[in-house]
Amino acid sequence: MTPATPVFNQATKDVVKRVTPEAVREEGYYGLPMLKRPLWGWEIALYFFSEGISSGAYILATMADLCGSGRYASLIRDARYISLAALLPCPPLLIADLGRPERFHHMLRIFKPHSPMNMGAWALMGLSAPVTLLALTEFASLRWFPRRVVGLAGMPFAFFMLAYPGVLLATTSIPVWARTRFLGTLLGTSSMATAAGALAIAAALDPKSDEETREVIHRIENITNIAEAAALSAYVYSAGPAARPLTKGRYATMFRLGALVVGIGLPALVTVTRRKPGRGATIASGLLSLAGALALKWSVVHAGHDSALDPEMNRYGARADSDNPGWRPGTSVRTGVMRARQLPG
Amino acid sequence: MSTDAFTMEMLDVWKRPEPPAQQVETGFFTDTTLCIGCKACEVACKQWNQLPGDGFHWTGNSYDNTVSLSATTWRHVAFVEQFPLDGGGNSHAPRWLMMSDVCKHCVQAPCQEACPTGSLIYNEFGNVYVQQDICNGCAYCVVACPFGVLDRNREDGKAHKCTLCYDRQKDGMTPACAKSCPTESIQFGPIEVLRERARKRVEELHGRGETDAYLYGAEASGEYSALNAFFLLKDRPDVYNLPEAPRRPVARMRSNYLSSFAAAVGLAVISAFCFAKGDK
Ligand code: SF4
Ligand code: SF4
Repeated sequence: MTPATPVFNQATKDVVKRVTPEAVREEGYYGLPMLKRPLWGWEIALYFFSEGISSGAYILATMADLCGSGRYASLIRDARYISLAALLPCPPLLIADLGRPERFHHMLRIFKPHSPMNMGAWALMGLSAPVTLLALTEFASLRWFPRRVVGLAGMPFAFFMLAYPGVLLATTSIPVWARTRFLGTLLGTSSMATAAGALAIAAALDPKSDEETREVIHRIENITNIAEAAALSAYVYSAGPAARPLTKGRYATMFRLGALVVGIGLPALVTVTRRKPGRGATIASGLLSLAGALALKWSVVHAGHDSALDPEMNRYGARADSDNPGWRPGTSVRTGVMRARQLPG
Repeated sequence: MSTDAFTMEMLDVWKRPEPPAQQVETGFFTDTTLCIGCKACEVACKQWNQLPGDGFHWTGNSYDNTVSLSATTWRHVAFVEQFPLDGGGNSHAPRWLMMSDVCKHCVQAPCQEACPTGSLIYNEFGNVYVQQDICNGCAYCVVACPFGVLDRNREDGKAHKCTLCYDRQKDGMTPACAKSCPTESIQFGPIEVLRERARKRVEELHGRGETDAYLYGAEASGEYSALNAFFLLKDRPDVYNLPEAPRRPVARMRSNYLSSFAAAVGLAVISAFCFAKGDK
């Protein structure tokens, strides 16, 4: 069953655009990329945004519950609701992204620590149970429910969900994601900042919340923002030239203006200029961090496309060094070793 | 489909049938010095594996109109035409380098390590194989492969690449490309035999004064394993659009997790302090 007009795959379209007679003079192989473009787009960017809010709110709620000695009841309830609301779109987004959505459950036929995507699927399953239970029992005000125990039991999953998106992207061959050790930290701290921002908005709107709650969540929001700024610098510095699709490419505006100015700079400005921000300022700064995190995750996911299709970046990502000499003319050594050395870490 | 059949199909993926008995490991040795660029391998591969066309595009810059491997192109002949342009650059006489590219069937394959469904496996011949009944098209393998081999097909939504003619091997036959290659540039066989033959061939070429000949992927290098489909090349790898020193993505996974978890736990602890302290 061949269709009348062939359906071209993305990879074919990508290279066909580049083949021109002039390319004969390009460096490398006619200026063609070595890698294939990632097939992940808006679904994955939104998923990372949403699951970050969910897991971050979960962690904050559990911490407030365990260490708040009975205060913050309204904040905990809001956080449980936010966590559930942000978790709900996650499975549909992930399923929509698959080439064969009806086979989504194949992710769960094995348990594979080598594959962050497989572990992420399990963590999403693991987190959804406590998130749902805690939100429902809050709603029904079931006092006998052991919410601290359940909350604590879900923490490993929540930590994993917070920490893994950047690691998933980094465990690939795409230079902008892989040539750094801080992408996981960057996306994780950004998730925490969005969760704190969302909780600050909720605290400002919730008539049951008090002055102390607002003050504390505002402080946490500031700290997570500083952590995000530090992680962002660590990422840009450690990735070096590999970060170019983000710092100079098509997504540079979104990355700089969105992630840096809107997400980190402006909320910081609100804090600096006002000792105790009012309701309006809190909501505004919370919304700004949310928008900034979305811009960050959107640009990081999409910069992978540009990184994969840039032959110069491909060569940079696979350049030889003393640890990894590769195969070149004159390197024929006869070690007889077939398997690579043990995983360094 | 009846509900019962549907349920059975859903549950099928958790079944673990007895795997076939291990066979001698096989692979390809592609000796690019013998390639004449006839593309018989490309045609034989398309025919045997019933792969659809990718449209027809004149590149206008070489005899390479296939351009790259894809979900529907599992052999691709690269044409490198080295005629000193503008009178400079190349130290050697004008020459053509031709290379039939294919999935490298890495001994430790990043695509296999990434695959979250376990669709990508090493089969009984030690070849890297996508189980089409398992793959759900998540496209993780597409970004994991450092050679840009894997691709997802738009029509069926699944990942595809060279199977090393698994079906033919099971019947004791040679893969279609190697069978059709008129110059034995593509050689198929037990991987140990091929590696030995390739080493002899390099020595022979060096003896003839062709000292630029070397093997790409016959042995592990740094963090990357050997390739069960390896090559004899005459110039730097990037001349053929191959990565000079591919990296193994999972090699840095643990330290990535570590710094990421450290930040997450650190922020959780700080927020716990803030909650405990209140607004004092
Ligand atoms: S070349 Fe790429 S697709 Fe082939 S086995 Fe290696 S990683 Fe997998
Ligand atoms: S696309 Fe298929 S073969 Fe590739 S990683 Fe996903 S499930 Fe595995």
